[in-house]
Amino acid sequence: MDGISTYFILITLLFSAVKSGTIILLPTIGEIFTERSGVLNLGIEGMMLVGAFFGFVAAYLTNNPYIGFVVGMLSGGLLSIIHAVISITLQGNQIVSGLALTIIGGGITNLYGYHYTDLRLTSTLKNFPIPFLSKIPFLGPIFFNQDIIVYLSYILIVVMWYILYKTKIGIHLRAVGDNAKAANAMGVNVFKTRYFWTFFGGLLAGAGGAYLTIGYAPFWLDGMTFGRGWIAVALVIFSMWNPLYAIIGAYLFGSIDALQFQLQAAGTNIPSSILQMLPYLITFIIITFATIFVRLKHIGVPKELAKPFSREEK
Amino acid sequence: MFIFERRESVPLKLKIMIPIISIVIGLIIGAIAILFLNVNPLQVYKAIIIGSFGSRYAFTETLVFATPLILLTSGLILVYRMGFWNIGAYGQYIMGAVFSSYFAIFGSPELPKFFMMFIMIFSGLLGGAFWAFIPAFLKAFWDVNEVITTLLLNYIALSILRYFMYGSWRDPTGLGFPLSKQFPLNAQLPRIIPNSRVNLGLIFGIIAAVIIWFIINKTKFGYELRIIGGNPRAARYAGINVASKIIIAMLISGALAGLAGMVQVSGVLRVLQIEISPEYGYTALITSWLSYLNPLIGIFVSILFGAFTAGGYLIQITMNVPYGIIPLIESVILFMLIGGEIFKNYKISYLKRSF
Amino acid sequence: MKNIILSTKDITKHFPGILANDHINFDLYEGEIHSILGENGAGKTTFMNILDGLYIPDEGEIYIKGKKAKILSPIDAMNYGIGMIHQHFMLVDTLTVLENVILGLKDQGIFINESNISKKINEISEKYNFKINPKAKIWQLSLGEQQRVEIIKMLIRGASILILDEPTSVLTPQETDMLFDILQQLKSDGKSTIFISHKLEEVMNISDRITILRKGKVVGTVNKKDVTTTDLATMMVGREVYFSFEKKPLDTYEILLKIENLEGYNDRGVKTLKGLNLTIYKGEIFGIAGIGGNGQEELVEIITGLRKATKGKIVLKDIDITNLSTSAILKKGISYVPSDRLKDGLIPNLTPLENSILKCYYKPPIYNRGIINYINAKKYTENLINEYNVIVPLMSAPVRLLSGGNLQKLLLAREISENPILLVAVHPTRGLDINATEFIRKKLIEVRNSGTSVLLVSEDLDELLMISDRIGVIFDGKIVGIVDPKEVDIKDIGLMMGGSHYINNKEGEF
Repeated sequence: MDGISTYFILITLLFSAVKSGTIILLPTIGEIFTERSGVLNLGIEGMMLVGAFFGFVAAYLTNNPYIGFVVGMLSGGLLSIIHAVISITLQGNQIVSGLALTIIGGGITNLYGYHYTDLRLTSTLKNFPIPFLSKIPFLGPIFFNQDIIVYLSYILIVVMWYILYKTKIGIHLRAVGDNAKAANAMGVNVFKTRYFWTFFGGLLAGAGGAYLTIGYAPFWLDGMTFGRGWIAVALVIFSMWNPLYAIIGAYLFGSIDALQFQLQAAGTNIPSSILQMLPYLITFIIITFATIFVRLKHIGVPKELAKPFSREEK
Repeated sequence: MFIFERRESVPLKLKIMIPIISIVIGLIIGAIAILFLNVNPLQVYKAIIIGSFGSRYAFTETLVFATPLILLTSGLILVYRMGFWNIGAYGQYIMGAVFSSYFAIFGSPELPKFFMMFIMIFSGLLGGAFWAFIPAFLKAFWDVNEVITTLLLNYIALSILRYFMYGSWRDPTGLGFPLSKQFPLNAQLPRIIPNSRVNLGLIFGIIAAVIIWFIINKTKFGYELRIIGGNPRAARYAGINVASKIIIAMLISGALAGLAGMVQVSGVLRVLQIEISPEYGYTALITSWLSYLNPLIGIFVSILFGAFTAGGYLIQITMNVPYGIIPLIESVILFMLIGGEIFKNYKISYLKRSF
Repeated sequence: MKNIILSTKDITKHFPGILANDHINFDLYEGEIHSILGENGAGKTTFMNILDGLYIPDEGEIYIKGKKAKILSPIDAMNYGIGMIHQHFMLVDTLTVLENVILGLKDQGIFINESNISKKINEISEKYNFKINPKAKIWQLSLGEQQRVEIIKMLIRGASILILDEPTSVLTPQETDMLFDILQQLKSDGKSTIFISHKLEEVMNISDRITILRKGKVVGTVNKKDVTTTDLATMMVGREVYFSFEKKPLDTYEILLKIENLEGYNDRGVKTLKGLNLTIYKGEIFGIAGIGGNGQEELVEIITGLRKATKGKIVLKDIDITNLSTSAILKKGISYVPSDRLKDGLIPNLTPLENSILKCYYKPPIYNRGIINYINAKKYTENLINEYNVIVPLMSAPVRLLSGGNLQKLLLAREISENPILLVAVHPTRGLDINATEFIRKKLIEVRNSGTSVLLVSEDLDELLMISDRIGVIFDGKIVGIVDPKEVDIKDIGLMMGGSHYINNKEGEF
């Protein structure tokens, strides 16, 4: 294979990597903020599934991918409210509640998904190039010839970073996640803050799932997210709860996913099952090292993570 | 405004009412979900009952589905009492199935059944234990979050199974489907109730549940596990070697999950395939919690959920209601249970205080 | 001149099993410093939390400047000009001073006006000579500096009534003087202050008037000029207070524990023990005085094997126990009563029985060939509970439902029953009422009299002076002085705690 072909294959690969990475980037950012408020939501996989399914159904029925996307987002958000009520108001066990959320997401989508398998969306998200930026060699065709959701995700990262570190909202969020008692004493409503950011996480998880069925693969299959939600949970730790770092993990995963896909399509000798294993194996290795690193560097796990807050008088 | 007020003691009534209310609400929500399919929920529930208890065969099928659950639940309860969140029962179950199937597929069919069974049981235990050892080790020595590691290992185990099933373990005469050859007679775990699929695994399960109960409540090891679960710092202070306890407990938990896998492929399916009932892994989590982490109660809860499963399969076939309704109902029950916990220690009171 | 700026009528608050505040009538003059004195458990903090909107009273009213006030949350309190500085600071460690000040501030839009707030912080800082850098992260500041950040927070919000809850518990005597100067300056600026304390000397020093609380009721409100320390003590406790204990003098000086050049790090990776030397004799109570954060915690954890020493040696009798495992050390006869009972020493969700056998569950008669004999365990527990007067309403209920005093007694019982040669006790009477406190102190002396050495780390200087045979002052990871409590001048201890003095008598010499 000559150099030019390699170049184009690489671009195509990375182009898909961005899309695949976006599926996981959105939930990761969402969960970063949820955890920053002190709530642990392990139900990302479930929220992604409902986002993927209901988003697909809405897009199919209205023939409008954007409506589908919004519906998917809202589905994730609605599901997250269950977890919010149980974790925040009822102070229940957040780990088990998150897992139950994943199970119910799987159950709901399996229950209603039967009729929507083998259907295809006719109208999907279109890519459009950004003038001038898309002409940059190498980077242009990869990053700036994408669909609107990808572009919005770029903006989202910057905006969320700014909110977290440069605004009063961010201060309140970080306070609630690191010392809820102090935040409460200073007049911050801990409950409202946690509800808000848990819902926010749900919206983004739903968005990630919706992007999967609308922007990446325009069809629905039972269990389609296939564990991406769990990778997002790991990526939150890997990005040290900082939205800027989330990009690295997400696009890395996206690259492996795209590579795996390409290799399968190209019919290599490597069995598809080994390729399928790669994202999980690599995430596994990453999380092991990230944990050791984070501990050594005393980097901030939000101190209130998974600890219920009660304004209990004694 | 409404506030939570601490109770002074836990009323016994509540301890019983909360699980019952949870189950009732789960059934109600399930019914609503079924209505959206334009199916009559009462008929569905009737079918579930028939499918699980309605006939001799149905009841035995309930026991068949309960069997792996009892093993899995017992194993999970042991580590949950320690505060170790093993979500990887499914992966450990697969590896147990894989390890034991190796001998069924590649071993000699002439080997005396007693030996073959022994080898398969042992390798089932080993496979599960091995798969559990990895996250246990990482947690014990490097404090790596076990929720994520055990979970990722589920997906990796599944990939390994697929590798074998699409590869060298596939039945050459099987028309290309990802199935192994049928297990020879000496690799089939004996069935213990005639005209049913109920196998020796049920006995294994009940024995395991009793042993786990004994370990937790009567032994020094169990005491230490409960201390770790209650306060790891105090455990370390008391001189308990937390790392070794985590590893040993997980080895047992994984082994039981692996045994469940072996029981399923050797006692029920008699073949290795990709779909070896994946829902068990997560269902066992729910049964563990519903049992209040008591393995003896776990036996009965597992039978109950075995009934749900048996019924669920039936309605999938006869009423075209997908299996997903079962995990839906199960998770609603779990939600109610977790959410209801708070009412044991607090009651809602209306604060009339206005200045 | 004497306007009443805040007053309360019949404030009453119940908690399960306790009447924390019983019809409290209180008033505060504008521009005065009014102390609320009471022992632990008298109801001071409850009352303050009501004024600050964290608790809602069952009965009673609060009046600000004569008008009835509705305080249902800390924001309401702030709106009325009440600023509370809690004993445990309401600061977020990972944020900067500036960010902590902004936290919850009204009329701040979404975007932070950094320079504006910074300017205000610097203004206040200069006025009262606080020396605080707005950009510093809280975890980098000393406790005294953090306290000043709390004051800044209140002043920026326009507080005219300041409430300080046990503010000197984390300060050196020098920092305490600094705080008192600040309070006087605030007073001359027209601020009114409520000062909560259980320390008689301080209260006599700083107050204009003093209200004494006992068992949730107001015992009386007096002018400082009209009373003595003894009067206050009597009102506080309700009976004659005896400040002395029976102690046999030491007759032989046998070295039990020798620590040489100990170095160690804390969880943050900061070196907190910098070459510590210490000798403890058999049968003595050795007290360690010092402000929290000077290495006491790490010292105790290293001695008990919960933390590794990076350099140095610890020798128990003749055995080197440096960096041995906790279980090995415990088996050599060291027992540990940690300061945070429910966090370190006990298992909150398990029963008293399961907690009490924690140190002996692996030995007969409780342990036998893998099994735990719960019948023997029950007998053992019942003996302990009776001997130490631990009140356990329900044997099957988790220990977290027990009161602080009973928890501490249970813990102490468990540790002492092992007949240790060295008992390490950290803040053993913190947060306990006077009966429990007296019981614990008596028990420590009993244990000492029977030949067990006690290493006592306490923030209560009075307690150390009362029961120790010798006191070592720890500062910046070293013992900077060892003194005889009967002879020492408390000023010297204060100076050593603050690092500006070094006395080296009593190091192995009597």
